[in-house]
Amino acid sequence: MKKLLLTALLATLPAASAAGTLVFGANGDPVSLESGNITDGISILVQRQIYDTLVDFKDGTTDLKPGLATSWKANADNTAWTFTLRRGVKFTDGTAMDADAIVFNLSRWWDKAHPYGFRDQGRTFEIVGDLLGGYKGDASAVIKNIVKVNDYTVRVDLNKPSSVLPNVLAAGYFGIASPTAIKKDGAKYGTPASVPVGTGPFVFESWKTGDRVTLKANAAYWGTKARVDTVVIRAIKDASQRLNELKAGTIDFANDFTPDALKSIQADKNLVAVKRPSFNVGFVSMNNRNQYLKNDKVRQAISMAINKKAIVDAFWNGLGTSNASFLPPVMAWANSSKVPADYAYDPAAAKKMLADAGYANGFSIDLWYMPVSRPYFPTPKPIAEAIAADLSAVGIKVNLKTEDWAKYLDDRNKEPGFDMYMIGWTGDYGDPDNFYGAYYGANASDDINWAPANLVTLLEQGRAATSQADKAKVYSQIHEITYNAAYRVPVVHSSPLAAARTYVKGWVPSPLGSESFNTITLLGKK
Amino acid sequence: MGTYLLRRLLRTVLVMLGISLVVFVFVRSIPGDPATVMLGERGTPEAAARLREQLGLNKPWFFNPQSPLDAQYPKYVNALLHGDLGSGLKSNIPVRDELQARFPATAELSLAALAFALLIGLPAGVVAALRRNSFWDNVATTISLVGVSMPVFWLGLLLSYFFAVKLGWLPPSARTGNENTLRGITGLYLLDSVLRGDGRSFWDVLRHLILPAVALGTIPLAIIARITRSSLLDVLGQDYVRTAKAKGLAPNRVTLKHALRNALLPVVTVIGLQAGALLGGAVLTETIFSWPGIGSWVYDAISQRDYPVIQGGVIFAALVVSVVNLLVDLSYAALDPRIQYR
Repeated sequence: MKKLLLTALLATLPAASAAGTLVFGANGDPVSLESGNITDGISILVQRQIYDTLVDFKDGTTDLKPGLATSWKANADNTAWTFTLRRGVKFTDGTAMDADAIVFNLSRWWDKAHPYGFRDQGRTFEIVGDLLGGYKGDASAVIKNIVKVNDYTVRVDLNKPSSVLPNVLAAGYFGIASPTAIKKDGAKYGTPASVPVGTGPFVFESWKTGDRVTLKANAAYWGTKARVDTVVIRAIKDASQRLNELKAGTIDFANDFTPDALKSIQADKNLVAVKRPSFNVGFVSMNNRNQYLKNDKVRQAISMAINKKAIVDAFWNGLGTSNASFLPPVMAWANSSKVPADYAYDPAAAKKMLADAGYANGFSIDLWYMPVSRPYFPTPKPIAEAIAADLSAVGIKVNLKTEDWAKYLDDRNKEPGFDMYMIGWTGDYGDPDNFYGAYYGANASDDINWAPANLVTLLEQGRAATSQADKAKVYSQIHEITYNAAYRVPVVHSSPLAAARTYVKGWVPSPLGSESFNTITLLGKK
Repeated sequence: MGTYLLRRLLRTVLVMLGISLVVFVFVRSIPGDPATVMLGERGTPEAAARLREQLGLNKPWFFNPQSPLDAQYPKYVNALLHGDLGSGLKSNIPVRDELQARFPATAELSLAALAFALLIGLPAGVVAALRRNSFWDNVATTISLVGVSMPVFWLGLLLSYFFAVKLGWLPPSARTGNENTLRGITGLYLLDSVLRGDGRSFWDVLRHLILPAVALGTIPLAIIARITRSSLLDVLGQDYVRTAKAKGLAPNRVTLKHALRNALLPVVTVIGLQAGALLGGAVLTETIFSWPGIGSWVYDAISQRDYPVIQGGVIFAALVVSVVNLLVDLSYAALDPRIQYR
């Protein structure tokens, strides 16, 4: 009887499974688990666990490696890309991952008339418009046609040359889902009422909105199998609370801490601070519509008057660098050698330059700072105050302004826009076009009223270039032009701060903001 | 009584329609729209216009001359009358499903907060009134003053840091532990764990409920204590209490049976009013404690300008407040027979 009781008691204990549950603290809930329809970091992070992409990134870098495609190759002029698919991979619902499935996924995103696009629900897949120029039939669309060559080969024909198609398709948006599952759940696919199905290292188990997503290890995964049984991704919106949870040991690792949390993390012997490789830029934009900023000398004077290094030292706790490039340091190969490593900080010269421009007595200008924390500007207000102090030292009086984020995003694009404002960018894939194109390309926002035609042409050449050497030539020209124009002054490339309990091993944070958790082990978690 | 109820219900429906109109206009009057937020840093006016069209936000609000029913508000009300609150613009999750999933979380938290406020606030108020100007009165008044002036988010973080991180007694946030697999029935987890006979879950849920309930309940506690005190003092000075005492009734009996019952009337009113305040306070408490209720959900929706979610959330919250107020009004009659409804 005693023995029976003991057995029963043991059975109720979590049979060593405690070490097998990995708990991640995310700064919110995913929006949707529908691929191609999301742009927020948390949705991408959850999706990365469930889905694979056609092409993948090597751990901790933006370099490509095989994903569901084992190889990919362009024709001579970069107008058609052929992807060879991995054989024997199955979606977790048992259906085959083959050319039909890939064509189904790609077509669904790109073809507005696709029967499984569910656009009557307001679904947009707007990322296709952003990264691939437009949708099927659009004059500006990059993709012309998607063709199944045979069961394991897919070809994507392009309207114009692009060397970055594989990089784009490697971005976290484009997770490949099971066509059968999509057809089954219809417009509900991706909501908590559906079962998202991919080929990834984890299988969807449940999603309680506002609370957590639970995933189980995919025992049949084709790649590196997960070392934990279960992953729980908790939504913990408040950053202080995320730190509390980490310190209390109720979560194992988490993202998105502001640099001022570094000390507190380092002071806790149970925690390690984890720096994500920098892949963003935070900058100040100056608007050509403003009578003072129209003047080249004024903008140059401003870029000289801001003590960027001191600001980065003060507000990023060593988690950021400043340079004179729009591109994060990992893409330094695309920078021009003619551009200095950083803007010279020289308030005296700046003052003289302002006097030369006819503003010896200075002037007054608005500087708008963001109401939200972003990896590139974790604490916008004090940073804006520091910039204002630097500018006032050379005689420019700065009025600091802000407003609700939605209005901020709206107003910057509405004439006359903001005089000077803070904004930034985090990359989706490792190509300079992803940074420059977004702010200087043909579809870029109209916030500075400056878009010279030669820049747009150069950007097109950059996209068409086939080798990295050719690209470097084009982008160093772009670097020179934009540096000399000084309409957008990069302030920082930050390393977003994450943290983990010491027993979390094998976590390699991706510069792109999310990575698959299959490499992580928990050693000695109680 | 029957006609009174019917009249009240009819009025509630009209109020709901009015609120639907007000919130419809309000959310659309806030500058910046869902398209801008969805596109974020990527946004250009062209992309936003394209997205607006896809979301149907380019249609007229009230009247479309080409096709009268193809305007946003008539469509919305029409769907509303069919019980359809629409779906989240980006997530595509039906607002009704989300309300169903999240309201129990808010209800459980609010009830727990209210229970905490009553269990401590009422006795504190009674003691303070009976021992006026004593040490205990001073303690109660001071605590209630501090309670009223304490910002919920600050108190919440403080409680979480002290009891979870420093002492390790309670979990810092969330409704359940990471490995709790409790399956819902009513959505009120405490009740569900009892119904399932799951003692471990019950303990887990209770532990998670304590800190947020204390954070949310502190202000109502302070208010209830103050109202109870002043109302009881007021009643204790009335003629019938003196008469009761003069008749030779035991002092405790006079206080509890005669005075307190009458003194409770304003307290009940305050509890009714607090139902609205609890929903409001839930916004902050739920955000701090990662509580998956409607407060944090609507809060997020506002920053995202997710119109259907904001509309659905506000209308639902208004409905809850109306129902609570109706119950409060009905309970007056139970407490004081002089009050009658016609």
